[in-house]
Order: sequence, then C-alpha cells, then structure tokens
Amino acid sequence: MEDFLQTLEIFFNFGLPLLILMVAYFVGSTIEKRHFKNICEREDDLHGFPVVSFDTMPEDWNVSSCNMVTGSIVISLDYFKRVIAGLRGLIGGRIKTYEPLLERARREALLRMTESAREQGYDAVFNVRLETSRLANARRDGKGTAGVEMLAFGTAVKFASRFG
Amino acid sequence: MKFVAKKPREGINVSDVHPLVEAGTLVVGLTLIFVFIALLLIFLIEIALYFVSDETEAELFADWLPEDLVAVSPADDRLYETQLLLDRLSSHWIDTPYTFRLEIDDSEVANAMALPGGLVVVTEGLLDKVESENELAFVLGHELGHFRNRDHIRALGRGIVLSLFFAVVTGNDVAGLGIKATDVTLRGFSRKQESAADEFGLSLVHAEYGHVNEAWRLFERWDSEQDSSPGIVTYLSTHPQAGNRVEDLKLLADREGWQVQGDVRALQW
Ligand SMILES: [Zn+2]
Repeated sequence: MEDFLQTLEIFFNFGLPLLILMVAYFVGSTIEKRHFKNICEREDDLHGFPVVSFDTMPEDWNVSSCNMVTGSIVISLDYFKRVIAGLRGLIGGRIKTYEPLLERARREALLRMTESAREQGYDAVFNVRLETSRLANARRDGKGTAGVEMLAFGTAVKFASRFG
Repeated sequence: MKFVAKKPREGINVSDVHPLVEAGTLVVGLTLIFVFIALLLIFLIEIALYFVSDETEAELFADWLPEDLVAVSPADDRLYETQLLLDRLSSHWIDTPYTFRLEIDDSEVANAMALPGGLVVVTEGLLDKVESENELAFVLGHELGHFRNRDHIRALGRGIVLSLFFAVVTGNDVAGLGIKATDVTLRGFSRKQESAADEFGLSLVHAEYGHVNEAWRLFERWDSEQDSSPGIVTYLSTHPQAGNRVEDLKLLADREGWQVQGDVRALQW
C-alpha cells in the first residue's frame, strides 16, 4: 500500500507533467502542421490578389470605392512550446518554438483580411499594417491564458477601371 | 507600376530546427549548468562553514526570522513554556555559542526546524501530536543536535540552491527571493546527520531529566499507528529515519546506561 502511494506520488510529481508535455507536443504539432497546410492552400487560392503596404496611391489611379478591411486571429501556444520557451528564456537566444506560432498568426490574419476584401468585391488592399497585442501572461496557477492577437488591417480599394 | 504576384519561399520566418532537438539541447545543456552550479554552491557552503565560526553565525542571524513564518501570538502559553523547555535543555550544552530562540509556526503539519542564529521553529501540528513534555524535549534536543553539527547551515545552503533552481525553472523572480523556512525543509538532512542529532538530543534529555523515559514515545506512536497523516510525513521528509529510530535510541540508552524509567512531566499548558 505504501509502495503504491509512493509510486502514485512519483507519478504525479514527474510522470504527469511529462505526459502532459508529450500530449501537448503531439497535439500541438499536429494542429500546427494542419494549419500551415491550410494557410498554404488559401494563399495559393488568393495568389495574384494585390496586398501591399503603400500608404499613398498614385494620383492617376482611378479608385471608385474604398473601405477598411481587417483580419484578426487570437492564438495561444501549447504547453510544450511554453516550457521550451521558458527554458530558452534562461539563457537567451531565438525562441525557436514561438517562431512558427507567430508566423501562423501573421499569415492567418493577412489571409482573413484579404479574403474579406475579395468577398466584398474589392480589387486590392493598400496600406496594410500588422498589429500585435498580448492578451495575458501564462501563469503557473492555471489562471490566465497566454495568447496573442494578431490584427491585419488595410484599405481595400475598388478600381473604376482595371489598369495595366 | 506593374503588380507582379510572387510567393515567398516557405519558412523564411521559422528557424529550421526541429522542436524536439531544441528541447533536447536546452534540457541537457541546462541540466549540466545546474549540476555544476549546485556542486559549486555546496562546495562554497562547506568553505564558508570552515571560515565562518558558529559565533559569527549566531551574531549575524541574532534577530533573523524566516520570511514565511506565521508566528502564533506572543502571549501564547505554549510559546512561553516551549521556550523555557528549550532553555533548560540548551543549558546542558555548556559551550554553545547560540542564544536559542523559539517560534511556533501556525502550521498543521508536524515539523521542527533548526534555522540559522539559533532559531528553533516548531509547528502547531507538532505541539498537537506530543503528549508529554519529555516527548517534546527530545524533539527539541534533536534540533539542538543539528545546531551542534551545523547541519542547519548546510541544509539552508542546499535549500537555497534548490529554491533558486525552482525559481528559475518556474520563471519567478530570482532577485526577489528571501530565505524561507521552506527552503531549509525542502531538503532534509542525511541519515547520518539524523543519527548524530538523535544522539545529542537524547543526551540532553538525559541530562535534563536524569532518565530518557518517553523520549521516543512520539516516534513509537507514529510507528505503531502506521499513521500516514501529513504531519509525520513532513517531519520524516525533513528528518529522515535512519533505519529504526526507536530501536537505535533504545540501544543508545542501553549503551550509555541511561535510565529508561522515570517520572514523566505533563505538558505545561
Ligand atoms: Zn533532524
């Protein structure tokens, strides 16, 4: 009985966090892979739709209507990424596990914005900007969830006549 | 201007390192660093112990209290009586550099700690468990034994190393760390240190009462009850049993020719 309790204690102290870490890794990387695949497909679909960061437009361009379009995504990191990033935080350097996360957020936000522009019948998006805001800190007590919001916004324009 | 749509190469913003490789490198590397630091600190503590005499230690920590101590009211009878008992016991340790102070921590788990500067902390949980003054006297004597062998400083050093480690791993602010009693108890003493503390403690009990009756009854009760309440578990995790504690104490009393029969004093509260 005592041995059993001891085993149980060891499990809860070391085994359980390790198990959660492994599950987080597998689930997290599967989701990430699928998300990247999805992003690539949608980017291919939108290929050729101009999304640019100019903030002024040449005067001779004939714009019939314009409107602001936005696309935003709120994304959280998995436990595995967080733990590894925590370790990385001790010695500094590139937080390599965060890079794909933010890359996904950026591209997804841009895609949502562009898709919204296309849906509304616009021809291009100008003056595209990206904004990030941190939602909360990850806390060890389980309260608070780490996450970032990535917001892409720009001016969608419709040309009176196609130029070129 | 002509707009030419072009797709950038995939993965420009993402490092080409597999997350598991990154994890492995970090874990192995940091473990090595920590082991090195821990060994270095333990070594430094031993050096410090060699150079800092117990008189200096007693002076440095004369008024020190751990940050996380939740002391009972100063008017508490138990505080007065236990301090008195501690004074009586320590009076038999003739050349002690310490002026022993006693604090009662408002904690339900049974535990007793030897802290720098001659501070003995017992928990309310322990006071609830003891049934006679003689039982309490042995627990206090045992802590005095840790002072005599300077185990408390070693434990403190190891505790600081460990809490530093946990603070770093959990991302807490390392600079804001104070010395806490939990640091000390985080890592108990070795079995050898325990036996030595037991021997000294029992000799103090014998010197005080002229016999060692009931000195180990608390442990006997814990053994027989197969009690696994948090109290005993905590005490044992900080003061691990070297084999059979009760048997060893009996043998010791026998070897020294100490009386095992005698009047037992009731608790004074
Ligand atoms: Zn001990």
